[in-house]
Amino acid sequence: MLLPSVQRGLRIGAIAFAILTYLVLVGLPLRLGDLALPILAGAMALFFWLALRGGKSKQDVFNRQPALLFTAGLSGGLTAGLLIAALLAVFVNLTSSGVRLQPIFDKMTPPNLAALYGVAPGAIVGGELSPLAWLQQALLLTVASGVGAALVLVERWARGRPTPRISALRWIPLLLPIALFLFVLWLGMPGVTFGGNNRGTIRLLAAMVTIGAGILALRAAHPGRERQLLSLLYLAGVAYLPFTLDQFQNSVLGIVFIFVMMGLGLNIVVGFAGLLDLGYVAFFAIGAYMYAFLSAPFSSPWLSAQLQSLGIPANAPLLSFWMALPITMLAGWIGGVLLGIPVLRLRGDYLAIVTLGFGEIIRLFMLNLAELTNGPRGLLNIAPPYLFGYNLGNPRDIFILGLIGSAVIAFSAYRLDNSRLGRAWIAMREDQDVAQATGVNLVRTKLLAFAIGALFAALAGQLYAARQTNIFPENFSLFVSIDALSLVIVGGMGSIPGVVLGALALKGLPEVLRGVDEYRIVTFAALLVTMMIVRPEGIIPSTRRRRELHEEAEPVVGEDVPSVLERLAPELKSDNPDGGKK
Amino acid sequence: MLVLDQIHTYYDRIHALKGVSLTVDKGEIVTLIGSNGAGKTTTLRTISGLLHPRMGSIYFEGQPIDHLPAHEITRLGISQSPEGRKIFARLTVRENLELGAFTRTDRAAIREDMERVMELFPRLRERLNQRGGTLSGGEQQMLAIGRALMSRPRLLLLDEPSMGLAPLLVDQIFRIIRNINEQGTTILLVEQNAHVALSIAHRAYVMETGVIVLEGPAAQVLASPQVREAYLGG
Repeated sequence: MLLPSVQRGLRIGAIAFAILTYLVLVGLPLRLGDLALPILAGAMALFFWLALRGGKSKQDVFNRQPALLFTAGLSGGLTAGLLIAALLAVFVNLTSSGVRLQPIFDKMTPPNLAALYGVAPGAIVGGELSPLAWLQQALLLTVASGVGAALVLVERWARGRPTPRISALRWIPLLLPIALFLFVLWLGMPGVTFGGNNRGTIRLLAAMVTIGAGILALRAAHPGRERQLLSLLYLAGVAYLPFTLDQFQNSVLGIVFIFVMMGLGLNIVVGFAGLLDLGYVAFFAIGAYMYAFLSAPFSSPWLSAQLQSLGIPANAPLLSFWMALPITMLAGWIGGVLLGIPVLRLRGDYLAIVTLGFGEIIRLFMLNLAELTNGPRGLLNIAPPYLFGYNLGNPRDIFILGLIGSAVIAFSAYRLDNSRLGRAWIAMREDQDVAQATGVNLVRTKLLAFAIGALFAALAGQLYAARQTNIFPENFSLFVSIDALSLVIVGGMGSIPGVVLGALALKGLPEVLRGVDEYRIVTFAALLVTMMIVRPEGIIPSTRRRRELHEEAEPVVGEDVPSVLERLAPELKSDNPDGGKK
Repeated sequence: MLVLDQIHTYYDRIHALKGVSLTVDKGEIVTLIGSNGAGKTTTLRTISGLLHPRMGSIYFEGQPIDHLPAHEITRLGISQSPEGRKIFARLTVRENLELGAFTRTDRAAIREDMERVMELFPRLRERLNQRGGTLSGGEQQMLAIGRALMSRPRLLLLDEPSMGLAPLLVDQIFRIIRNINEQGTTILLVEQNAHVALSIAHRAYVMETGVIVLEGPAAQVLASPQVREAYLGG
């Protein structure tokens, strides 16, 4: 048993080394500055914890015996540490002998590496590093792996407690968002110097983690008074956020919540109805352009000519943001139906390809129909929203509008999920033939999924246009579709809170790691691949999806899963309190 | 109650049903037997609207239904338990049953019907919160029939309920089918297992390569030398 656990340690250590090398390649250590060493060590401890706890079967073999667990952990830490030390040695030798790595790996700068190793940059450039400094990192990683192994033991101990519900540990997730929120407030106070140049970024990250932790806390809270109280606190906290954050932070969170709005719409199409849509950006573009036409008709050569011939002055917005809302929504709806009709008979892969094409058609249309859309020069000077004469176009108010829009859409999506239409979507997603045989009108159900999803995307598009004030066809590339789809998948398909977490992770994190931004797609890929292996059902899976992907959790006879019908009509549940069990 | 008049159904250019006519009267169990590929399932899918005939007409309670889409036919009171136990494998037993009642809005009555289904199939009650896909073959068949019953059909279409089941289970399922019929549901039963089907049916049709070759009371069909030779092993 000792040998396999050492082998396992070697494997984990090699992966840890790969992750650290990757972080150097994307230049993360330098961005973290003085905090690089503690943060990386903490992240590695978390990595070792996740790697060591492993799957269910591995837990049985290794984790019952702490000695084997620590053997695996420590050999892993040592492996990673020695590999890092070797890399450092190679690097220092190359640098001191005049070889320049920077043209090949642009982030392989001495300061960056020095930050990772916690040594002075000058020492690396001069090649005057003592062998002891090389081993410092090996020691640190070994300690981190030990902490990771200890975490596994702590976790097992906590899980093994007979009544985890009354354990004090339960309060940690509930109080965490409050603590984080206070941290955000404290960071914003004048005179606080924590984090130095990176304070703003750290504050943004903390604000994002607060929102995410709040969502997880709401799910961890017991239903009833506890959850109600927590929701109130949470709402108050989130409502206060825009007023305490600075422009940059608000603008990042604004775009995050525009993507939340879009993700919630796509979640209906993909998560609820099971229709894979790769051209979802089309509806986002339709919403943005529709608002642009209504708000800045003077940017469109054809429209201004038409208006002039009708005697309407074309140098001012036709409709305000609020008056344009219903028209944008209608345009999104029509767009959804127009895409829906030709793809009614398509399923799976074929549907994905056609929707992909649709997204590109809309973009090319915007690009080439220059008379109407002004082509690549875009539509300019779109009006921001006004309320009682007050301009809402600044990042703070756009963030607030994004929050309100997301809340409205999330509520609608939640009601739809638990409606008759929601059940029809589930049936259709599972098996179209049987759904039809049980009385589901496939044409209507499918078109409604596309239309409602498109409507929400159009709303997001209108807010986006109002935020940017200038829009160009290149804002609506395939990557927007991919971003939206990725955040739905990462968050957990069919899960409404999952969309928020997915958007924070995929749209917010790249902003936090702005130094990494050019490697964003690589980061995406790495994150997605890891996610799909570790947690295929997403960060917060919907109850049903979790059941689908984790067969070993079966059977759930003891657990009373709230059924579709009971969520629709809770009063029915009382006639049968034991949920039909005998 | 149900009349098929000279139905011709095609799969693209393949002529699957070549003028099938049959009737099902109220309160009956009628069985349609025949070997693989005879067109039994095609007939059922044509009735339930998943396929549409190119020629001929279908009447349900006097109303033509051959042009209606499947979901409207379900609303009229025809419910199908599809071949190969097509249950929603990833949904729980309870959700499967609830989706069976999709066309209905009377929640209290749905609850009662669910109780009734679970009385017919006590095994489903034990499995209520389990995923459909984790049920045994027999249980899945029970679930498929139970789900079809949830729409309160007046005519129940059963496609090969004996498929892939142990003989003991087959007997059990067919007892329940007769029970359902005695409670007032008319049944059209498609089967390859001619012996069991004929033992509970009132009348029978025998099908071969898209045409009906023999029809009559079940006992008479069972006794016919043609059937004995072809389906019952002489």
